[in-house]
Amino acid sequence: MIRYAAGRVLAGVPVLWVVATLTFALLRFLPGGPFDKEKTLPPEILRNLERRYALDGTLAEQYADYLGRLVRGDLGPSYKYVGRDVSDILADALPVSVELGLLALAIALGGGIALGLAAGTRRDSALDRIVGIATLVGVSAPSFVIGAGLILGVGLELDWLPAGLWEGPRYAILPALTLAALPLAYIAQLTRAQVITVMHQDYVRTARAKGVPEGRVRRHHVLRNALLAVLTYFGPLLAILLTGSFVVEKIYAIPGLGRFFVTAVTNRDYPLVLGVTLVYAALVVAANLAVDLLYAWLDPRIRVGGAER
Amino acid sequence: MVRGGGRAAVLVLCTLCAGVAQSCGRDEMRPAPRELRINLETEPPSLDWSLATDGISIIAIQQLMRGLTRLSRDLRPEPDLAERWSVSADGRTYTFALRPGVVWSDGEPLRAQQFVDSWLRLLAPETAAEYAYFLFPLKNARAFNAGTITDPGAVGVRARDDATLEVELEAPLVYFPALVNFMVTFPQRRELIERYGERWTEPPNLVTLGPFTLEEWRHEYRLVLRANPRYWAGRPALDRITAYMVEEDSTALVLFEQGLLDLVKLPPLEIRRYRERPEYLRQPLLRGYYYGFDLRTPPFDDARVRRAFAHAIDRAEFPPLLQGGEQPWPSWIPPGMPHANPQLGLAFDPERARALLREAGVDPATLAPVRIVFNSDQTHKLVAEKVQAMWREHLGVRVELENREWKVFLKELATNPPPVFRLGWGADFPDPDNFMNLFTSYSENNHTGFANPHYDALVLRAASEVDPATRQSLYDEAQRILCEQDVPIVPLFVTASNFAVARRVHGFVPSPMDLYFFDRVSAE
Repeated sequence: MIRYAAGRVLAGVPVLWVVATLTFALLRFLPGGPFDKEKTLPPEILRNLERRYALDGTLAEQYADYLGRLVRGDLGPSYKYVGRDVSDILADALPVSVELGLLALAIALGGGIALGLAAGTRRDSALDRIVGIATLVGVSAPSFVIGAGLILGVGLELDWLPAGLWEGPRYAILPALTLAALPLAYIAQLTRAQVITVMHQDYVRTARAKGVPEGRVRRHHVLRNALLAVLTYFGPLLAILLTGSFVVEKIYAIPGLGRFFVTAVTNRDYPLVLGVTLVYAALVVAANLAVDLLYAWLDPRIRVGGAER
Repeated sequence: MVRGGGRAAVLVLCTLCAGVAQSCGRDEMRPAPRELRINLETEPPSLDWSLATDGISIIAIQQLMRGLTRLSRDLRPEPDLAERWSVSADGRTYTFALRPGVVWSDGEPLRAQQFVDSWLRLLAPETAAEYAYFLFPLKNARAFNAGTITDPGAVGVRARDDATLEVELEAPLVYFPALVNFMVTFPQRRELIERYGERWTEPPNLVTLGPFTLEEWRHEYRLVLRANPRYWAGRPALDRITAYMVEEDSTALVLFEQGLLDLVKLPPLEIRRYRERPEYLRQPLLRGYYYGFDLRTPPFDDARVRRAFAHAIDRAEFPPLLQGGEQPWPSWIPPGMPHANPQLGLAFDPERARALLREAGVDPATLAPVRIVFNSDQTHKLVAEKVQAMWREHLGVRVELENREWKVFLKELATNPPPVFRLGWGADFPDPDNFMNLFTSYSENNHTGFANPHYDALVLRAASEVDPATRQSLYDEAQRILCEQDVPIVPLFVTASNFAVARRVHGFVPSPMDLYFFDRVSAE
């Protein structure tokens, strides 16, 4: 198991290298540079800037310089935010995004599993139909629509919760709900389908025949097996929470990392784009690894070590 | 019987309701007395006044710092850190006498050498300051910035004593006192910058001398400014300014309506709804919006064709379309700027437009479609569609619209300008030179390929002309070349800022340069 885990971690390194290289190449392929402004700069000033940020070498030199610093853990200075290093920016913003992401994850898992279980065990009931419609909306409505709806409804009309900013727990409710909407709905649908399947399995029937109380059957046999499917969804779920945070952090004015993904590109802030991309890539790689390990641990039918699955 | 899932669902709902219900205690949403909460929109890229270049940073820096002069309501330079100034007979040497008794927030007195330190730092090539060119009028400044002169002593600025700053210019420049109200000319504490390095602008390192000091800078989220008890003109009426960075203008407006923000810029679509409300405030800006032609691409290599296209635009159509307080303006120096002249420019005249096109031998039926390129934005799109419709209707030409992402657009302007493009220009200092210089043959911002030596000479002469009447006639003549005769650009309108200001806030007066000063603002 440990050898398997170590191997998987090492396999992540080339993935990150490919991501770093592709991002570097794509950025330079994009027309327009960090110092193209509405008010054009005189050539001598442009030269000073390019020298300061080591943009005066050839592309190959810049790439070598970039990789060299990356290996030493130096992500370089931001071009847009003068005097701030990319690692400072990441250190400020990442904890906020993680907090928001974990909150949304809890809501999505708790709400999604509960709704899915309730609907699945009461197939074709009124509750099942309501959940069916609600989850369909949740899966298909984009987060900026849900966000705008919550801001206008709960924020402006009802005036229950602040429509933005990041000052405390109350300020986190609307953004977390917005971020959680899509994964919650999807988890509910997934859980419901699994519950319905599992309910007809032999071991459930056996348990019931043995006279195990219905509540215990549901908790120990139905829910536990249905959750395996949810676990498979964990990797994509993290990706959804990360990409969703681009929109949610922007519309709720939350000082997280997501908004940089868009603004750093429009500013052509090359080091910041690379830094943010690498952090997200590392998170996705880590999440997938965690899911695989958890899966192996939960389901002994999946063999690890020696022959790969 | 089926309780497990149902109970969990109920539990989740209850938790959410509890969160909402708990929100009834709204105390934390109320402002402290004498606190102003504004929306800065985005993170200021820098609070280093030698390196900042954008409007957001300027708003913050203007509250923290002061310059030699400040602009009056009618944009004339008035004494600020300089108590008075004089200029030599040849117009090349300015002498500023500093106001006595001015101290920094750490108690250190203001000294003339701090201006010298700041200006040399701005110009030093290793600083790589984008706005170094603001001080290029100083003797040897441009060469020092390019690295061809390395002796800072050769640059035309020196402290004659602690209270006297002397500036030597390459050529006379009548608007120099207006230039030194701009942030890049503010004094600096060299020893603090050396001590803290790039972190000298972070609290508590940052030492300033304006009405407010920087208490907190939570990056990407908010700045907190505190009243400076040592401010030379007296402590401001506000205790505290909290400047949040809410990027979405619609979110900012909801926060304003919830009472969480006191001052926001209105999104264009909301202006109509706010126009009659007491919270509404409009400020016309010294910011022009124009269409440029590439003079190297036929048919726009012919001035008659450019005049024809200019005559075919009815500027009166833009204000009702855009609703942002735009003012149609057919010449380049904007209204409110000295030497602006409403009589100049080509008016809407479709007959004349068609005649000019015939004269130039252009047949609209066979002319290839004219390409208008603009950066992706709702306002620019509306304007382009309107121009497209007007050119089609009045000239009978086909017009194609293309939009580009901002930086892609800028790159294209610099390397391969489209036949027709849109751009804007906002005043950096309130002098016509800031606008007219743009279309000289040597300007980096002239993307049209327009080069007229007579125009260049007029603009150069006007910059050093002391007599207002002569200056007016020089600018009138230059504007006639630019907007009536050669027509490399068609000025369309000047823009405005639209604000919502909470009723608890008093004394907020924005400036036509899109600057804000909160030292005279109060909040209940």
